[in-house]
Amino acid sequence: MIYKDYVKWDRMPTNWCPGCSIGTVFRHLTLALEKAAVPREQMVVVSGIGCSGRAAGYFNVDSVHVTHGRAIPVAEGIKRSNEKLKVIVFSGDGDLVGIGGNHFLHSARRDSDIKVICINNGIYGMTGGQMAPTTPFGEKTLTSPFGTSYAPLNIQGIVTSNARYWYARTSSYHVNHLLKCLGEALEWPGFAFIEVMSFCIENFGRRQGFKNGFDMLFKLKQDYKLNPKPDGLLKNHELGVVKNVGQAS
Amino acid sequence: MKRLIMGNEAVAMGALKAGMTFFAAYPITPASEIMHILAEKEGEIVFLHAEDEIASIHLVIGGSLAGRKAMTSTSGPGMSLKQEGIGLAHMMEVPLVVVDVQRVGPSTGMPTLPSQGDIIQSIHGSHGDYNPIVLYPSSVEECYRYTIEAFNAAEESRSPVVLLLDGFLAHLSETVDLDRVSVEIKPRTLAPLGHGKRHFTGLLAKDGVPLTKDSLYYREWYGRVKTKMLETAMNYRFYEYLKNDQADTLLIAYGIVFRVILPLKKEFSLFKPVSLFPVLEKEIQAAASGHKRIVVIEMNDGQYRGEIQKVLPREVLGISVLGGTISLKEIRERLHDL
Ligand SMILES: Cc1ncc(C[n+]2csc(CCOP(=O)(O)OP(=O)(O)O)c2C)c(N)n1
Ligand SMILES: [Mg+2]
Repeated sequence: MIYKDYVKWDRMPTNWCPGCSIGTVFRHLTLALEKAAVPREQMVVVSGIGCSGRAAGYFNVDSVHVTHGRAIPVAEGIKRSNEKLKVIVFSGDGDLVGIGGNHFLHSARRDSDIKVICINNGIYGMTGGQMAPTTPFGEKTLTSPFGTSYAPLNIQGIVTSNARYWYARTSSYHVNHLLKCLGEALEWPGFAFIEVMSFCIENFGRRQGFKNGFDMLFKLKQDYKLNPKPDGLLKNHELGVVKNVGQAS
Repeated sequence: MKRLIMGNEAVAMGALKAGMTFFAAYPITPASEIMHILAEKEGEIVFLHAEDEIASIHLVIGGSLAGRKAMTSTSGPGMSLKQEGIGLAHMMEVPLVVVDVQRVGPSTGMPTLPSQGDIIQSIHGSHGDYNPIVLYPSSVEECYRYTIEAFNAAEESRSPVVLLLDGFLAHLSETVDLDRVSVEIKPRTLAPLGHGKRHFTGLLAKDGVPLTKDSLYYREWYGRVKTKMLETAMNYRFYEYLKNDQADTLLIAYGIVFRVILPLKKEFSLFKPVSLFPVLEKEIQAAASGHKRIVVIEMNDGQYRGEIQKVLPREVLGISVLGGTISLKEIRERLHDL
């Protein structure tokens, strides 16, 4: 199977805005699936609600598009019901670590064998640009018109607080790294979380003064540096993989 | 073999008998024993003590989609949390069973005392229009029997079926011989995930493609789903009618209340719906005819009386037994004062 076979072509075009990078991540996931030779009949994609959450419907495999924040428990239920399925969650930051935060915390703790791909655009994109738990400190959004007064959630910290973990931070600019991370996640036996640093031009970037999606993509290039061999955890502006095969204790 | 069994235990055993192999829940009085018993089966079944009730219903949706008969159990506060998932399961047409062992609310209320306060929640708890099947047993043997029927109805209707209990019935122990209860067990109706390119979604969709701005299609879709629910429910019309030829009053009661008022059959006609929803319109109308007065007795402030009133074109009286305590003596007196 080639990557194109994982795409539901009759659903194209997607509902993603021009200049959005969710499609880049979607495309690289199909490439990673081709590489890992995952049969279409042995996988399921689950999404929650949001722009990123529309992804499930564009995969040419059995897919489930659930309520806001519940992609992780539905995915875990699927995996525990049929261990043979490769179960992938594709959703947004607000969905997975905001409203779905409790499920994220506990599914990671239970080391459920699901692969979670989180589009971190730092905003609630679909609903017009409200503050997400991932919005950088001080940023103005529809619900933080004077700038956010809280620091963004430390997703890496939460995942790596478990005895056994696999966490990657990558970006929709660094596509080779993105592909590598997706491939590694698909092979990891347990809970794998990929935080894809991303952006939203229409409902966040424009208010920050960006002219177009390309400028935001370029900002990702400037902001993030690859760290192929992190010593401990990733620093704030590093991309890489941190993992621990340790047993739960 | 005859054994002394508790209502909650009979529910767990009924679920296993029905072929349930996936269970997820969060502890809550007075439903926890269902969980405790099924925890012992971990390995034979998938058992999950989830982080909360929202997770448990969604785990169960995933478990069912991937091929297993699945159930979750809770009480009122957890039932409120599960409503989101119940709506999703109706929209995606996922068979599963939700057990709600009622206690006195609202909120944390009176955790250890029984109630029937979730009648309306069981049909209108989630937003939007949907037409669920709700069963309510009134004995330990019925807990077993109707848990199996709940699974059958879930499979046949491809929807989340609610099994209501009350804290009294859940903790009631009775000697029963479950081996002698014979109920046909329906096979799975939903092809499990992993065999195609189906898209299940909470959005209004046609063949997996969202159609979120098509009002005419919504009407068509809703009509189809409603018909499916009502037609399936025709196969699950459970009730007991004890007609008293001398009586001019018909008492309607369900769950533990029916058990408590059973001795009144000498003076009154009694009707016990097990299938609470869809309301047994024809059967109730038939029972009501020939009686001067209709009285619904329930452990809430008239929730089911309102539903009966909708199907009977005359005044339906009610006795509300509130606060978690019920006695035949009190009911007798209040009937006298009606
Ligand atoms: C229970 C519930 N609350 C709120 C909403 C409205 N809503 C839809 S998408 C969304 C935010 C999505 O943000 P994110 O997960 O970051 O996805 P993005 O659109 O940024 O990709 C919200 C709040 C909803 N659909 N359901
Ligand atoms: Mg977002």
